[in-house]
Amino acid sequence: MKLTVNGDVHEHQGDGSVEALLGELGANKAHTALMINGDVIPSESWADTSLNENDVIEMLVFVGGG
Amino acid sequence: MNDSLKVGDQELGSRLFLGTGKFSSTQAMIEAVKASGSELVTVALRRFNREQAEDDLYGPLSQLENVRLMPNTSGAMNAKEAVRAAMLGRELSKSPFVKLEIHPNPHHLLPDPIETYEAAIELVKQGFLVLPYIPADPVLAKRLEDIGCAAVMPLGAAIGTGKGLSTAEMIRIIVRDSNIPVIVDAGLRSPSEAACALEMGCDAVLVNSAIAAAENPAAMAAAFKMGVEAGRAAYKAGLMPTSEAAVASSPLTSFLSIDD
Repeated sequence: MKLTVNGDVHEHQGDGSVEALLGELGANKAHTALMINGDVIPSESWADTSLNENDVIEMLVFVGGG
Repeated sequence: MNDSLKVGDQELGSRLFLGTGKFSSTQAMIEAVKASGSELVTVALRRFNREQAEDDLYGPLSQLENVRLMPNTSGAMNAKEAVRAAMLGRELSKSPFVKLEIHPNPHHLLPDPIETYEAAIELVKQGFLVLPYIPADPVLAKRLEDIGCAAVMPLGAAIGTGKGLSTAEMIRIIVRDSNIPVIVDAGLRSPSEAACALEMGCDAVLVNSAIAAAENPAAMAAAFKMGVEAGRAAYKAGLMPTSEAAVASSPLTSFLSIDD
């Protein structure tokens, strides 16, 4: 499944779940905030969320900032 | 006596808020947070990058006791982006605090008051404790109070410049008129400036560059802690009035005069 993740094209090989994508990219579930096609997806909804072809995904983490 | 700071429904024991950017290492940042005694620490959001996994501060910060996280909306160019950033930040922080900052011009990083005001309305509606980073504008500060912001954070000087309380006169007016906490954010360089802000009646200061870029960040964090405490204590003690005329503090009886 072709996705855009953080601005780059990504060929997803998993089952299209959020968890599979995070695992595939090596992201820590508890440290990651997620946006799909501009909508913020709360972590409680991840289990019920299926990714679709051409979805635009942003995965964000906390970094230093003032 | 309890002198904690109340921001919305949250109580904070320290009046020093700390930014986590620009530190040479995560370890240096953590040591500075500990030395500062701060209970509210800002963080930014960035795209996940597996090659730079060490930049992810979630783990190290969650080890700190009695420290709450305040995600900022840095990078947002307008109200819509800021609201989105705030929602993403809350997903991770699990705290109601958001530092609302919208500064679209990278040359001066000054806040956009119009977009900030619009974003604040929406974020208050969504239940955030909104702490907007704003120009030191008393009218804007009052308008933000009126719509339900938990505090206002006027700038002392432009971000990262270390030029101190260049907006002191405007901040005095904001403090005089405000019914919500006033927190000086940006521009401070030295603990004496933090002390000065607290002496003026500001409720807290937010410091990042001054500590992160110090030769010894943890030692500077400890110095800022003392500066903030001294300033607050002085404010509560009540500063003497100023006078145009000199007023002697010793008797001026001329017993030393020589009469020949």
